Amino acid sequence: MAEFSEIWVFSEKPSFTAELIGGGRSLLPAVGGRLTAVIYGSREKAEEAIQYGADRVLWLENPLGSEVPVENIVPTLARQIEDQKPRLVLIGTTRRGRAVAGRLAARLGTTVITDVNQLTYQDGELLARHMIFGGGAVRLEKPRGETILATAGLGVFVSPGLGHPAGGDIQKIELVEPEWQVTLRDRKVRMAAPVNLVAARKIVCVGRGVGKKEDLSLVEDLARALNAEIACTRPIAEGLNWLPRERYIGVSGAQVRPDLYVGVGVSGQVQHTVGMSMSRMVVAINKDANAPIFSQTDYSLVGDLYTLVPLLSEALKNRKP
Amino acid sequence: MNIIVCYKPTPDASDIVVRADGSISVERAEWILSPFDLQAVEAGMRLAEAAGGKVMALSVGPRQISNSKLKKDMLSRGPDELYLVVDDALAGADTAVTARVLTQAVRKMGSFDLILFGEGSADLYFQQVGLQVGELLCIPTLNAISKIDLEDGRLVVERSLEDEIEVLETSMPAALSVTTDIALPRLPSLKEILKASKKPVTEWTLTDIDVQGGTVKAHSEIVAVQAPPHVERKKVVLEGKPAEAVQSLVDALQKEGIL
Amino acid sequence: MTDHTSVDKFDVIVVGAGVAGSTAAYLLARQGLQVVLIERGPYPGSKNLSGGVLYTHSLHQILPNFWEEAPVERCITNQVVIFMTGSAHFNIDYKDEAFSKAPYNAFTVLRGKFDRWLAEQAEAAGAILVPRIRVDRVLRGHQGEVIGIAAGEEEMLADVVIAADGANSFLAQEAGLRGRIPTHQVGVGVKELIALPRETIEERFRLDGREGAAYAIVGYATQGVAGGGFLYTNLDTISAGLVMRLDDLVQNKLKPGDVIEDFLSQPMIAGLVKGGKLVEYGAHLVPEGGLAMMPRLVADGILVVGDAAGLGVNNGFVIRGMDLAIGSAAAAAEAILEARARNDFSTGGLGDYAQKLEKSFVLADMRTYARTPEFFSNDRLYHAYPAMLTDLMRQIYTHHAVPREHLVSMFSRSARENGVSLFDLVRDLFSGVRSL
Repeated sequence: MAEFSEIWVFSEKPSFTAELIGGGRSLLPAVGGRLTAVIYGSREKAEEAIQYGADRVLWLENPLGSEVPVENIVPTLARQIEDQKPRLVLIGTTRRGRAVAGRLAARLGTTVITDVNQLTYQDGELLARHMIFGGGAVRLEKPRGETILATAGLGVFVSPGLGHPAGGDIQKIELVEPEWQVTLRDRKVRMAAPVNLVAARKIVCVGRGVGKKEDLSLVEDLARALNAEIACTRPIAEGLNWLPRERYIGVSGAQVRPDLYVGVGVSGQVQHTVGMSMSRMVVAINKDANAPIFSQTDYSLVGDLYTLVPLLSEALKNRKP
Repeated sequence: MNIIVCYKPTPDASDIVVRADGSISVERAEWILSPFDLQAVEAGMRLAEAAGGKVMALSVGPRQISNSKLKKDMLSRGPDELYLVVDDALAGADTAVTARVLTQAVRKMGSFDLILFGEGSADLYFQQVGLQVGELLCIPTLNAISKIDLEDGRLVVERSLEDEIEVLETSMPAALSVTTDIALPRLPSLKEILKASKKPVTEWTLTDIDVQGGTVKAHSEIVAVQAPPHVERKKVVLEGKPAEAVQSLVDALQKEGIL
Repeated sequence: MTDHTSVDKFDVIVVGAGVAGSTAAYLLARQGLQVVLIERGPYPGSKNLSGGVLYTHSLHQILPNFWEEAPVERCITNQVVIFMTGSAHFNIDYKDEAFSKAPYNAFTVLRGKFDRWLAEQAEAAGAILVPRIRVDRVLRGHQGEVIGIAAGEEEMLADVVIAADGANSFLAQEAGLRGRIPTHQVGVGVKELIALPRETIEERFRLDGREGAAYAIVGYATQGVAGGGFLYTNLDTISAGLVMRLDDLVQNKLKPGDVIEDFLSQPMIAGLVKGGKLVEYGAHLVPEGGLAMMPRLVADGILVVGDAAGLGVNNGFVIRGMDLAIGSAAAAAEAILEARARNDFSTGGLGDYAQKLEKSFVLADMRTYARTPEFFSNDRLYHAYPAMLTDLMRQIYTHHAVPREHLVSMFSRSARENGVSLFDLVRDLFSGVRSL
């Protein structure tokens, strides 16, 4: 089967689905080909997918007030894939997305190409690119099999926007009863304020050099002065929990390409820098002249961040336009 | 309760060598245990200690996983027994192959209540195998698990998602892939290190667990493994007293049109 | 006294899996004893740093032809001594083909690889290796005798404990065999491991195949601080570094990192490591006090081997530690087997250890070099003499329109210019002859 004429996309998050639709569309052959979005949600969401550019929607209704977890739809998805044999199924990399992809892979007898950062064609075959060794290496592979499963993170593809005409082909599909169930007992909301690091043009990143959570105010000042978004390295988000996980840049976090990245107290471990190495301009502030970050910086300030950061905020506020 | 913890020793990423043509080699790297797996082992140990039971460690892979230091290291973390499926055909096995081989091994190991996996492997970090194994065994399988409790023979877990934490309940046996904050691994004590050499180790070949040749066929063709692309950076160090250096930076940013 | 009945008991506990510890563990396990070899690092050798040159004789007697299996780098055939001043240097370059054949004289080794291999031999002989455990106390019995060790809350008993825990031996102090080591008896060895292609090394150092070169550098190398520089060729890396006396370093307010950077930028040295890539950097304590520094070697239930026993020789031309450590381990193992036969692990019972060391090359060599530390404290060694030698060579090789001076008057003038009197010269000559 040479061309990828039938591409499906799925994510439990609508904004993600939009990006995947954009990505999937860009892979369709010039002539023919169909992009199908699998939507688990309301009819409105299904219609929205058409407006994002899906040719067809397979819609599994999730009635309002239903607490059927996404996990329970895996057998349904598997059945549809087995029946219709799409060439490629692209799933958004969220934790749930990973679970759906992995379980589908087991059912379909195939593997998942995870966290792709690029998908292209080469001689009629799909070429996938992703990072391994914690960002230390790039792996290029050509998945085999009738249906290829792949996951991609936020920011890899671009949402086409709600430009397409409404009223496309929406097919309702029925739930296949899963063999086992999980019951949702409770939900605890995490403190995350919505943040889109991927869209930010300027980012100030907090690293372990910042000693106390209270010191984040210094960084916030700088971010304000720069009109930048705040991000962090993994230990700050996961170990210390000073900032929500969405703000963490790294191999298993956000991959960003801002115009300006300013690392404050960031040492520059490769697991972090792979997430920002494509920034247009990199500035780093660190008191250790031998920190790895400095080999990947355009402008370095070697010194105590507690002195430099406030001075920088001041200088920015007072600069002549 | 019987808990199986799956683990994957890998070449140490800090020993990666970049060849002249940009490709990556791990030939001279030493194989080590992964911190992700140690977290899973610790989670298993704590459950077994609280509820009473035993922990069995399981790994499948090429001959490097059978290194005596690795075996001792894993056993010194607490598991009561060690099982290995060793075959060089498993070198570089993809997640689907690994999952199938693990599943066959688990079937041979007898009954279990829980199978635990780390968040991902230390080298590839695809975060897939745990989910695939659970699905192949047709048991409840969940990832991103940050807390595990037992309530009247049922499993109650916390699942850490991006925006929220779900509290879920399901039946056993189950397969759980845990997050990095599930448990801080204990340091092996003197006693555990000494005990390690006396614990039972079972080593199987693929034939021992009825795995046919077709099962280990790759589902993907690896074209290349290379060093990541390099963006040439200016590497300008702004010197002088703090106020001066800072001003130089602001000037530079303005000049670059960033501000 | 705590009840130790529920604690594991072994025949011997060896603390420290460096060359002394692993050798002792090997020899004793080979005789069927239950031996535990405890190492605080993640693997044997991880906490060790050597120049490192291993003189083969002592290990060859224990593991004949060990070089066939052990990870050794190059066999040293070229020995060079460099007297360095600011702008010139005077070399003695000695190459001996005899050194390129078995039983070889010395090999360069990388401790991370070598120590691991040696510990593996001990394990193969039946010793139990316990990595990542740091011993912090000795356990004592009713009469104050050492009966075991403790690490955190965990305890382990044994008939005898071997302290093989290095130059700053914690155990030797804990067991009362020595007090705190004065800083003039301790050196700081600082080293860089620099990667270069094999062919480049072989070409630059004029080596054939697996031959190797060992350079000893005296004079400017250490900026006047008592000590010297070294440079050894490994297979595809070069070990380059300095050993300096700790008190001098402190007194001169110098940082080891700065001194080594300066050393490596000296034209002679820079040329040898040119184009190389820094792979590793490390510093380690080295016993420097010589015979005067050695602690008591035996107490009830415990004995001390290797660097922990202060066994080390540095006479500027030659730096030795590993072969002495191995020799001491062999003597210790013998003594322990004899003590076992008598079931007497007291100071008396283990006392044969000291005598065996006396009779073996170990203490004999230590005695020979007894005056070396003193000799090396001589400031003239670092400034005046290298300057005089290079002066002399310059005079000999530079030709002017004016007729040349006679060598002797040239020499006396040089001596005067460098503040060296005839008396100093003669005294130092005697001292040197006796010490070296």
